[in-house]
Amino acid sequence: MPELRKDPLIGRWVIIATERAKRPVDFIASHDDPLPQSECPFCEGKEHDTPKEIFALRQNGSSTNGDGWSVRVIPSINPVLRIEGELNRRAKGMFDVMDGIGAHEILIESPQHVINAADFSVEQFRAVLQTSVTRITDLEKDPRFRYALWFKNHGEIAGAGRIQHARSQLIATPVTPKRVKEELIGARRYFEDKERCVMCDLLIQEREAKVRVVYESEHMVALCPFASRFPFELWIFPKRHSCDYLTMQATELDDLAGVFKQVLGRLRAVLNDPPYNYLLHTAPFRRQRGKVGYWKTITEDFHWHIELIPRLTRVAGFEWGSGFYINPTPPEEAAKYLREAHV
Amino acid sequence: MSELRRDPITGRWNIIDTDSPWGPEAFKVEPRIPSSVRCPFCYGNERMTPPEIYAVRSSGNAANGPDWQLRVVPNKFPALQIEGDLARRGIGVFDLCNGVGAHEVIIETPDHQRQMADLTLPEIGAVIKAFQARSLDLRGDKRLKYALIFKNYGLSAGASLEHSHSQLIALPIVPKRVQEELKGAERYFEFRDRCPFCDMLHQELQEDERVVCENRSFVAFCPFVSSFPFEIWILPKEHRHDFAQVTADEVADFARLLKETLGRMRGVLSDPDYNFIIHTAPIELREREEYHWHLELIPKLTKVAGFEWGTGFYINPTPPEMAAKLLREVALPVQRA
Repeated sequence: MPELRKDPLIGRWVIIATERAKRPVDFIASHDDPLPQSECPFCEGKEHDTPKEIFALRQNGSSTNGDGWSVRVIPSINPVLRIEGELNRRAKGMFDVMDGIGAHEILIESPQHVINAADFSVEQFRAVLQTSVTRITDLEKDPRFRYALWFKNHGEIAGAGRIQHARSQLIATPVTPKRVKEELIGARRYFEDKERCVMCDLLIQEREAKVRVVYESEHMVALCPFASRFPFELWIFPKRHSCDYLTMQATELDDLAGVFKQVLGRLRAVLNDPPYNYLLHTAPFRRQRGKVGYWKTITEDFHWHIELIPRLTRVAGFEWGSGFYINPTPPEEAAKYLREAHV
Repeated sequence: MSELRRDPITGRWNIIDTDSPWGPEAFKVEPRIPSSVRCPFCYGNERMTPPEIYAVRSSGNAANGPDWQLRVVPNKFPALQIEGDLARRGIGVFDLCNGVGAHEVIIETPDHQRQMADLTLPEIGAVIKAFQARSLDLRGDKRLKYALIFKNYGLSAGASLEHSHSQLIALPIVPKRVQEELKGAERYFEFRDRCPFCDMLHQELQEDERVVCENRSFVAFCPFVSSFPFEIWILPKEHRHDFAQVTADEVADFARLLKETLGRMRGVLSDPDYNFIIHTAPIELREREEYHWHLELIPKLTKVAGFEWGTGFYINPTPPEMAAKLLREVALPVQRA
């Protein structure tokens, strides 16, 4: 009997097809024709092929926009939002409109032509994480922005385009996005009821049950969520309660680097280098928190985390129409495969 | 400068790229589904499907035999099962219930070669009547709260068979996306005592910038807040909350406008994969003054990536004004009745 499962955060239901469960072999990852390495603009030595850097982790003595970096951040060549200008909020009849102001940055995660981040050393992951923290901290200072989403598209199907070089992206938006708001509201509702963080409760339950836990380190837990929307969906949580990614301590950041190495390696081993997206869900920018109602208990009720979604199934009419996802792989099965993978 | 636009109903913001908009040539055409050797939806292969629930047949033809015009059968690989109880329960912080529901396939024509846009007006009318008949029949089941009618056309839109078909899934809960729409509509109505969709229709017909085509009872337009390039909505002009109560005249007009819209989309975008979804009120006794049924048609042209998943924020590279203009101006082959 398939099950319907409800996400405790935002109230979304998911169908878990327990009987016709799909296994890794049922998903064949397709690989499209990429840009050859010789034409890759993100490799060390090609700095002049990209817009000028916003930030880079550099060796002592190396010069801006030259070689000698480990992670480099540039503005997107095709930004979805523009950095200059005012929001210009206005109405058009019954509709609300504002200008597309925001930041869109590319984090080039390695000077070498590494395609899959699973090949990074833990040290390299640490550099990437440090860079993400630095950039979000900086974007938070811009009073026009309310949220910054750090995310990665790996593989053509996941939206990476033809450039293969490993990178992630940061988009700062002038509104708190809907999906984030839903999570915040869901978490606050739970807190109002119980005076506990829903994700702390969830972590206690998952670490006891163990069936959906993929990997646990000193400070982090990686698990396949109970109401996974997608096969092999995986979330990474810090064990210490915090609403804000930027409050991560050095030991936690080191630990998270190791968890990334583990998780991406296991994913590749089980699913033959699948396309995937991951994204950070953290609290909206702190200056918002003085506002009435919405942000009052956010430090207590919200818990930052990273969501990773392998792109194995197609989202079709039913999902678009209902917001209801059909997931053919129960998270318990997915977690078992990922737990038992050799890396 | 691109624009952020907010859907007044669900509150979702979208980014509309008005600066360097993508025209139809910017989108790659997906490969077609290979024709299977034996299609279970073709004449003579009726035994390959579960027994039919509904069919349009010449009088005197036995069920599950050949010589039909349209068949509705249970999905062979259903997402939900019709037998059993919901058994709602909790596990710690989580809630769950059994996957009870109906999952049916509407085989729109016995002809493997024709897609929906190629069907005649009476044939499309028969498909719409089948949607209606099945929706009404499933209302008898007290466990079911919502009937979602949709179509996946082409591989990238989620279709696994080439033969023209659509689907109906009846659910034991009102799904989240529908609830959001209903709640948003209620909020709007509370303040203004008007249906937001009627207001939208009025504004679109008045501005006449995003209208694709219209007839006596229906209008097709690219919504101001399109999440996807070339997204099209079809709305009944009169306020109607419930698709299943569509009248015979409306069926004929809806068929005509749907065919024309699909034809225009195919003309502009060289046969794209697409989904359409009928949004209607839940299964309930009340009339909804604030809700208006409609069909949402989404060609599959862009890839949904990390940003969209993370934020629920869609990046649409084609302004709906440009999409509507292209769709309006494309030359159509002469329609046969």
